[in-house]
Amino acid sequence: MLAQRAFQTTLRRVAAQPLSRAVVPAASFSQQRRLAATQNIPATATENELLVQQRLRRPVSPHISIYKAQITWYASGLNRITGVALAGSFYLYGLAYLVAPLTGWHIESMTLATAFAAWPAFAKVGVKFLAAWPFTYHAVNGLRHLSWDFAVGMKNKTVIQTGWVMVGTSFLGACYLAF
Amino acid sequence: MASIARPAVFRQVCTAAPSKRVFSTRTTPLITSAFRTSKPLSRPTPSTIIRETLPKVASFHATASRPILPPPPQRIQGTANDPAPVPDPSAFHGAYHWTFERIMAAGLVPLTVAPFAAGSLNPITDGVLCAFILVHSHIGFQSCIIDYFPSKRTPKTRKGLMWLLNAATVLVGVGFYEFETNDVGLTEALKRIWHA
Repeated sequence: MLAQRAFQTTLRRVAAQPLSRAVVPAASFSQQRRLAATQNIPATATENELLVQQRLRRPVSPHISIYKAQITWYASGLNRITGVALAGSFYLYGLAYLVAPLTGWHIESMTLATAFAAWPAFAKVGVKFLAAWPFTYHAVNGLRHLSWDFAVGMKNKTVIQTGWVMVGTSFLGACYLAF
Repeated sequence: MASIARPAVFRQVCTAAPSKRVFSTRTTPLITSAFRTSKPLSRPTPSTIIRETLPKVASFHATASRPILPPPPQRIQGTANDPAPVPDPSAFHGAYHWTFERIMAAGLVPLTVAPFAAGSLNPITDGVLCAFILVHSHIGFQSCIIDYFPSKRTPKTRKGLMWLLNAATVLVGVGFYEFETNDVGLTEALKRIWHA
């Protein structure tokens, strides 16, 4: 088919040239010749529906369960997860603060601070660490992303090294913030 | 669709043990049954010994079928014989959005370090930090929606979620404006709760 298309393009180009150099094409070259009789059967809605049902029943190949655990994609996934967790909390608090007068909740900073102060020490430290680590992780990984945007540290080995440095730094940062 | 009826195994097995349907839950491996019905080998090879001693399980599957995520709603564009649509290439598509996203992310770096360095923030700077966090989160959520809800597969869900995100961002913006006005501000509030 490609050869026929190429021939047709050439034919058109030749035909566009002045008549003195025109070549009279044989009728068979400009028409597609099929040696077997075919019939165009347009797909009906039921056949498409059948195909959709087949696709839904087909087993899904394992992907994330079998891929080798690497800091590259684990770090990227965790960056998204921590980002969604932080942004989700931000959004939820913003929306809750707006509806709090209507529902009678008290979530001002003073109420939250006095309530948190009453918690036992280990619970406070634990919650602070659980809140701090996603924050430091996302922040340091963000720096890594910004460096990639300037095409710095793009080699696989460098990505792995900076990845582990980022995990360590964020963990230490979270420990410092929490304790 | 004739492929359902056609056995998808080696040709020698088809000629040795013809079957109309082949399922993955077949209990005896087709290869060993083929060996039994066809000409017996003069000397059992190590591979056949191993195969005979192994428990008879369905062939070609080493693990059980355990989908992590079920297949999403399927949508066929055109007919089954149409090629997958290739979008028109555009070298500049999304360039401004990309640059804006990086400006937001880069701007967040000094804004986030400032409260730790200075102790507390001016209300205006605090408001700017809230705005930057809001826009950065909005762009991040947009990326999640784009990744997990492609418009060709789930068009209505995608549109609905994008509008929901827009509404949520506006409401959260108003909410944090109220918080900044009526309360002590984001950095000061976090500091008070943290060191309570």
